Amino acid sequence: MGRLKKKFSEGASKTYTTRNRALKKLQVNLADFRRLCILKGIYPVEPRSRKKANRGSTELTTFYYTKDIQLLLSEPLINKFREHKVFLRRLKNALGKQDITRAKTLEDNRPQYTLDHLVIERYPTFVEALRDLDDALCMVFLFATMPVVGSVDGKIIEECQRLSSEFMHYVIYSHSLRKVFLSIKGIYYQADIQGQPITWIVPYQFNQRIPKEVDFQVMGTFLEFYRTLLGFVNYRLYTTSNLSYPPKVDKNMQDSAAGLGSLRIKSKDFENLIKNVAADADNAIEVDQDNEEETTTEVTPEMKKRMNTLNTKIQSIVAATEPSSNSPSYSAVGPSADADDDDMMKPENMLFGKQVFFLSREVPRYSLEFVVRAFGGRLGWSSSSGGGSPYEENDSSITIQIADRPSQGHQFLNRVYVQPQWVYDCINARRLLDTDDYLVGQPLPAHLSPFVEYAEGDYIPEAAVKMAAAAGFEGEVTNLQPEDRDQNSDDEEDQNGESDDEEGDLEDESADEEEEVSDEEENAAIRAEKQYQQQLLAERAGLTFSEYQQKHGNKGNATTAAKKQKGATNKRSKAEMDEEERERIAISMLSKKKRKVVNRTKADAYKRAKDANVLKARKAEIDNAKKKKQRQ
Amino acid sequence: MAAGKGNKKRSAAHRDAEAKTAAAKSSSTGDEFPTAMGSIDVSSESEYASDADSDSDLIEGSEQNFEDVLKAMAADQGFEVGGSSSGEDDEEEGEEGSDGEESDIHSSDIDGASSEGEEADSEDAEGSDSDGEGDGGLLRRTGSRSTDGQATAVDSDSDGAASDTSQINDDDMRKLTIRDFGADLASWKAYRQTLPQIDAGYASDSSTEDTPNTIGNVPIAWYEDYPHIGYTVDGQRVMRPATGDELDKFLENMDNPDVFRTARDEANQRDVTVSAEEIDIIRRIQGGDIPDAAYDAYAPTVEWFTSQTMKTPVTGAPLTKRGFVPSKWEHKRVMQIVRAIRSGAITAPPARDQQQQPRLYDVWEHAEAEPGERRGRPRMVAPRLALPTHEESYHPPEEYLPTAEQRAEWEATDAEDRRRAFLPQDFGALRNVPGYERFVDERFGRCLDLYLAPRMLRKKSALNADELMPRLPDPRDLRPFPAAEALAYVGHSGRVRSISVDPTGLWLLSGSDDGSVRLWEVVTGRCARVWTLGGTVHAVAWCPNADVCVFAAAVGSRVVVVVPPELCDGQRRTVSEDLVRAGFASAAAEDAAAADDSLPVSWDVPPTAEQTAGVHVSIAMHRTVKALAWHRRGDYLATLTAEEGGGAVLMHQLSKHKSQRPFRSLKGAVQSIRFHPTRPWFLVATQRYVRIYNLMQQALVKTLQPGVKWISSVDVHPQGDNVVVGSYDKKLSWFDLDLSVKPYRSIRYHRQAIRQVCFSRKFPLFATASDDGSIQVYHGMVYQDLNQNPLIVPLKILRGHEIRNSLGVLDCVFHPIQPWLLSSGADGTIRLWT
Repeated sequence: MGRLKKKFSEGASKTYTTRNRALKKLQVNLADFRRLCILKGIYPVEPRSRKKANRGSTELTTFYYTKDIQLLLSEPLINKFREHKVFLRRLKNALGKQDITRAKTLEDNRPQYTLDHLVIERYPTFVEALRDLDDALCMVFLFATMPVVGSVDGKIIEECQRLSSEFMHYVIYSHSLRKVFLSIKGIYYQADIQGQPITWIVPYQFNQRIPKEVDFQVMGTFLEFYRTLLGFVNYRLYTTSNLSYPPKVDKNMQDSAAGLGSLRIKSKDFENLIKNVAADADNAIEVDQDNEEETTTEVTPEMKKRMNTLNTKIQSIVAATEPSSNSPSYSAVGPSADADDDDMMKPENMLFGKQVFFLSREVPRYSLEFVVRAFGGRLGWSSSSGGGSPYEENDSSITIQIADRPSQGHQFLNRVYVQPQWVYDCINARRLLDTDDYLVGQPLPAHLSPFVEYAEGDYIPEAAVKMAAAAGFEGEVTNLQPEDRDQNSDDEEDQNGESDDEEGDLEDESADEEEEVSDEEENAAIRAEKQYQQQLLAERAGLTFSEYQQKHGNKGNATTAAKKQKGATNKRSKAEMDEEERERIAISMLSKKKRKVVNRTKADAYKRAKDANVLKARKAEIDNAKKKKQRQ
Repeated sequence: MAAGKGNKKRSAAHRDAEAKTAAAKSSSTGDEFPTAMGSIDVSSESEYASDADSDSDLIEGSEQNFEDVLKAMAADQGFEVGGSSSGEDDEEEGEEGSDGEESDIHSSDIDGASSEGEEADSEDAEGSDSDGEGDGGLLRRTGSRSTDGQATAVDSDSDGAASDTSQINDDDMRKLTIRDFGADLASWKAYRQTLPQIDAGYASDSSTEDTPNTIGNVPIAWYEDYPHIGYTVDGQRVMRPATGDELDKFLENMDNPDVFRTARDEANQRDVTVSAEEIDIIRRIQGGDIPDAAYDAYAPTVEWFTSQTMKTPVTGAPLTKRGFVPSKWEHKRVMQIVRAIRSGAITAPPARDQQQQPRLYDVWEHAEAEPGERRGRPRMVAPRLALPTHEESYHPPEEYLPTAEQRAEWEATDAEDRRRAFLPQDFGALRNVPGYERFVDERFGRCLDLYLAPRMLRKKSALNADELMPRLPDPRDLRPFPAAEALAYVGHSGRVRSISVDPTGLWLLSGSDDGSVRLWEVVTGRCARVWTLGGTVHAVAWCPNADVCVFAAAVGSRVVVVVPPELCDGQRRTVSEDLVRAGFASAAAEDAAAADDSLPVSWDVPPTAEQTAGVHVSIAMHRTVKALAWHRRGDYLATLTAEEGGGAVLMHQLSKHKSQRPFRSLKGAVQSIRFHPTRPWFLVATQRYVRIYNLMQQALVKTLQPGVKWISSVDVHPQGDNVVVGSYDKKLSWFDLDLSVKPYRSIRYHRQAIRQVCFSRKFPLFATASDDGSIQVYHGMVYQDLNQNPLIVPLKILRGHEIRNSLGVLDCVFHPIQPWLLSSGADGTIRLWT
């Protein structure tokens, strides 16, 4: 007999550890532990058996992987936290004793820490960092819109603003924006960076309501890491795109609330060029000075000449790379140097390439500027919504003016006045939509989420169907087919309505139906289905549908037809029942585990169908009401 | 100087208390006041002592005199004392004379007033002398005290040399002090406000009270009958003062304006009037104030000792050297730092703005170039937030907007239970969209989720439901099987509990609760014969031997063996009857031989009426017979009775009319019995298990564990290697005897209990009959290849039987030749399914 095994030394009780045990092991308090967990990305886990993991106890606790806690044990941040605590104590003592000099020294030597190592530890590759960027972006964009007053440090907010606008500049530069959605919560953006879809939401620019129960300590810790992460991500994105980082901030533009325009994005090559030229100039001057020492008076004109040429050289370079000072700052850069420039210059990514926009003062410039420029458009804005606009409202090159007001007073004839939704819908549709539906003062078509993917049996709103039909994308329409088919059959029903008896009968019925459509809804669907079947049969027989119908409809009078219909429905229901029974039989053969899976999927499908039916019924109701109104 | 500071900080109350004690002393020993004052002070205040001495010439014995003396002295020094300082005090002094009361009486007045507690009349202009006197006392004391302190200060200021010299004679001292006293007073005046003179009235102190009566704390009632009311200190009687009668008293009270503040002093039998001053004091005490009206609690502090540096220090200790020499250790420390700076160990801290710069670089440069192996388990990435749907749009399609009911429902549900946190809303235009109130909330919630929510990797089955569905062969390929109802055999009036088809497949037997056994022609449904045997027929069974035409029926507690006369004729009939009857001879012989027969079984010849109907043998038992099972050769018949233990199962040998009990004891209630079709095995299904016994070796072969709660029926595949078990908990279990004692496949289709399971002898079919009124037909193919598992395919559900009293189909049996199924139900019908 071997040695007795010590209890709880292996298995689940070793794999998992509780939070209290972790605290004891790490010798930190709860607040520090929380910060560590947030920064290191350590999360609680759910063991398969709580009882086994907690040494036989079933009390409610939080579990962590023991390995994770061991990893924390060697974390340099723990020591930094301790140092900070000591620092705080010293500072407090010094202030308590009114020892100002000591307090100052302490403050100057405030212990600092960086989170660089955490970034690389949590995201060993850049792609992983991109994959996890959603939350970071949401948070940074939120804090960028926070007021400086209150519980958040102004510097942090400033940094968030800088980081967010740097990121937006990259998206604009790389034309990687894909989808935009105006929701009631804020504006969703989705960009495609290095093949990773990155989604983030930006709140509408209003004062944020900050509820009392929000703990800014927690959010601040998250933000601390996200700032670091986004900083590195931006650096990487810029440098790999051959842009210089950090972009220069144009103080004047910033002061005039130019928004995105306040950052000057420059190509690295350009910077280097400038640097080289400057260095040349220095050298030249040095040489001149050397010469000067030797011969003070003689070489002065030569030097002057040189200097002049240098200046003109620099100017010419600048002029060459920056064709017009008005155009957005990095159109100068030109993405030509990049490897994936064909992706950038794809026509659908340069959707607004030929458009010149002007924003009225009431539209959200913070979003539209970003979106329009990301799709290659040029735009100006009224001076009341910030400085830095490249042109004025009366510029003749403007083709589209975005306005959001009940009615537009003075209108320039050579441009179209549309509501902002047009821009967003165009982006989601990946083509320039007809502006007629979006003209100023008109009721807008529904704005749909571009993120919805339709599964079989889902409800597809009318607008989406229309959009897909108009686009004529085959790939898009495949999903829509079931709904589409119904539509077609409905149309045909209308067309063929008077052609024969049966249809006439149907029409009568449908006339009755209009009073109580909601009840007859299902029957209509069945009828439509049947008609579709008939159409198929007719097609198979090589007849037109009406011929086929005449052939079959003339066999009996209306009553027999009705009877037949009834019989058909019965038969169909019986077939359905058979099918159902067969399914049940088949399910009875499954093991318990598989049966559960099957039942769950069935339940899901049922639920989805139910939701879709609710929407369908609602739609029918609304349409009915509209029709009635029209008739009146 | 420390002592001086301490003195300065002394509270006014403390000073007051001191003053009181001092004054008390002075009042008690009036004559000795100067000397007493002198004796208080220690030698350090020698000036004061001498000062007192100088005064002592002027002072005479009484207090009154002392006051005068003080006044005179003050006047001498140009200083106003007591009443002379203010007009009010003057008045008081004037009244003092007119009042003419003696001080001792007055003090006792105060005592009396202390018990009165009446409100003082503010208009009472009568300034009491005690007031003036009391104040004077206080002044005097404080005055003398301050003089003392001041003297020291002034002295130390002006005549440092004089105080330094310790040998000074008394005269010098006196001159000095008197002169100083004058200077003192001048400065003292600057400090102190002038306070009215107070008599050492301290009359409230009862210890100093002059009480003529010394009887002590004795009830005065004891002296009621005497002319005196007590005794003086000398032992003289104190006579009772004359008192008038009540009328006099009343009149006097009416006349007396002070009656409201007059109290009776019982001990001395006299009336005491409380002065306005005393009433004021009482009122102050009651109000929690300082009793002395004139006392200013917030008077500016008096600097008893000077704050100015004195020329002569208090201590004479010489200054140390270390007070002048720079510290060696400090020097050492400084040098240490200097050296460190020189060597570069200490450098100037970097400029602040340099620290602030974030240093960014390409963190992934090296890591991606040479990816190290990752430690620990892979990270569980938190799921991304769900992407927004159309509902979230600022201008959604109309059908997504909630109706009034949906809105009401949403508002009625708890915030936590809502399916989504927001209600879809249509703003029409972008300009109408407000900020989202819960934005920060939702971000915070996400943060909490990220670090608080336990994560778990859940393997999502990649297969979808369609893929999981078993690939069953099409039932149409597995024909023939019974698929539809062909015929119903109607005739029974009760539940048909049991049916059986004869080996030729032409005839069907049924036994019912109505007490009859019916014989049917299978193909036509014609009822050929009815036997009414008087009792519930629980089971009927044809003898499987095709040579004979015999069946057994369990009627109540007996089993009858019948040779139906209609079905067989000639040779077959005689063979059958011989087989059935042969036993009577041998049984009779054996009965005689073995009289010990303990079995509760008797083989009887049935009555002649029954004999004509074909019933040839009747086997009587003690309990109701529940089930019958024939051995395949047709000689042995096993019966199951409703009995506990081994006696439940009995074997009957038909040819010898012999019964035996194969099991001495059986565990559990036996539900069903079956002979194995190929081997000498016998299956006994108890409530939980199916036990298989070898009858030849008399041993247990196997115990099958279907894992169900209550077995209802069992059947063996004709090839003998597979067993199906039906249970009341709706489950069907298929056992492969070669594989395991656990079921190879469990199928649960029925909604109610399974009553019967049966195999087809000829086709790879089996069926289950259930209380839900349905029969499920399965294809159960057993392959010759032992490596291939049996194929079980559900084929068809047959419905037709009605449910009566929650009983559906009670029995089912396959046709021996055709792929037909026969079933009997609680509705009294038998149905043929083809």
